[in-house]
Amino acid sequence: MDASAGLRRPYIPTSAMFLRPLLSVASLVAAGLCAAEPAYVPASDAQVLQRVPAASDPAVARVAALRARLASDPGSVRLADELARAYIDFGRKVGDAHYAGYAEAVIAPWTSRPDAPPAVLVTQATLLQYRHEFAKARSLLGKALAKEPGLAQASLSLATLDMVQGDYASAASRCSEVSRHGGVRLGLACAGSLRLYTGQAAQGIALLARIDGEGARTLGPWIEGLLAEGSERLGRFDDAETHHRRALALAPGDNFLLVAYADFLLDRGRAKEVLPLLADHVESDTAYLRLALAQSALHTPDASRYRWVMAARFAAYAQRGGELFGREEARFLLALAKDPEAALAAALRNWENQREPADARIVLEAALAARQPEAAAAVVDFVARSKLEDPRIDALVRAVKGTAP
Amino acid sequence: MKAFAAALSALLVASIAHAHSASDAYLTLTAASPQRTSAVIDAQWDIALRDLDFVLGLDDDGDGNLTWGEVRKHQAAIARYAYEHLRASGDGTPCSIEPARQAIADRADGAYAALFLRIVCRGAPRKVTIDYRLFFAVDPSHRGILVFRSIQGTATSLISPDNARIELRLD
Repeated sequence: MDASAGLRRPYIPTSAMFLRPLLSVASLVAAGLCAAEPAYVPASDAQVLQRVPAASDPAVARVAALRARLASDPGSVRLADELARAYIDFGRKVGDAHYAGYAEAVIAPWTSRPDAPPAVLVTQATLLQYRHEFAKARSLLGKALAKEPGLAQASLSLATLDMVQGDYASAASRCSEVSRHGGVRLGLACAGSLRLYTGQAAQGIALLARIDGEGARTLGPWIEGLLAEGSERLGRFDDAETHHRRALALAPGDNFLLVAYADFLLDRGRAKEVLPLLADHVESDTAYLRLALAQSALHTPDASRYRWVMAARFAAYAQRGGELFGREEARFLLALAKDPEAALAAALRNWENQREPADARIVLEAALAARQPEAAAAVVDFVARSKLEDPRIDALVRAVKGTAP
Repeated sequence: MKAFAAALSALLVASIAHAHSASDAYLTLTAASPQRTSAVIDAQWDIALRDLDFVLGLDDDGDGNLTWGEVRKHQAAIARYAYEHLRASGDGTPCSIEPARQAIADRADGAYAALFLRIVCRGAPRKVTIDYRLFFAVDPSHRGILVFRSIQGTATSLISPDNARIELRLD
């Protein structure tokens, strides 16, 4: 795609940038998308400028307490690892990547050493996984397992990477390792998750429902989220809604669960309900994308503003140096920038590295919209081999096959 | 059981990459017209209030709403922290960094403290080196986005822990 062609339509310059990760930063700045409004002095002391984590939030207080303990005992690798994990969990909850950076800094004194403890290597691998640096994450997990072969957490992380990247045979053998060394509940969680990907969602749901006792209490929201996902895969939308709501009742404000429910609502043609659901979560980019999609679906007067802010946020990502944000980027390009060719290129690039059902779906949707069904051949083949069941993906595969030359 | 939950958090992480952009700050430098005895560069440094709150604790009442009053009260601390992490030198000789006013700049991902400053390098150097270390010790994924405007045009650099010294050519 020619960048100059993009100038005719307002959103294309952004998509042109996405197609060219090596495009110079200067041209992004020149495009004006990363620019700030002119600086100003607020009129009143009472004006709220920014939402920040509230000290009164128990999760924030827990992190702060750990931070203070590590400050008084800076040589403790156990405390450092605990704080890093707390940052990762908190970042996940609120949907904020800053905490991955904070976690990285906390464990940095140990990760650079050749005798880094295996648990710290697993934490570092989690951070790399978070940034989609899957190969590096795998290598660290391999190192951790070489040092401590019974480290169930490392096997579980590898199983997760296998699931994210679509290698289900490998995930199955890792889940056996997890059961052997990590106990029944971890084994159930691993095996149950895996079955949601391989056309055995009903079994997966049954396995996840067997996680009991303390496991069910601490992991309630996560299990409910998976049960919702499994129910959607089976086309049981009423069940899915019940599980989505239960998950959010157990973990109010959790970004991951909110976004999953918002996607469910968007799929069900209930965009109007997305607006109040995510109104307090505009800081999270994944939540913001769903808000922008809902505004667009409802043709609200604010829709174009949301689209522009989303484009600017993506441009800021590109500006900080070619990180991957494939799935969301492709969805933005397809549904909001209305650029199916660019969306297809982004979706296929993402597919190289990430192969969850949502990644398959965006390739199929973009290929159809771009009238290039043959471009989705690898995904069609993957869906057939994995036996993935999902009514939305099944319909897309049928459409792609029907239109393929 | 804590270990159990921790182990499972690994499963959750896969899908959350880029839920929110990591930390960026923007340093925009403008070279003043060349002088015979010194080089002068005016700058605006935009630093996210969220990031400043993490290191300095700006939200005094802990209600999660950072107000202009709270930011204003901490302006001296913000300046001290920021300027501790910025150095400039001209042809190897340290330049002075003169802080000026502070304001607020809005960007797509939130509000930023806008720090205005002037860099003065004696002896009319041909090359000025910016040494930028903001937040790297607490967040190695922080990036500084430096834009330099001079008579030569506009040049942009991405500042990271591995690329923390940026050379600007004045001639």
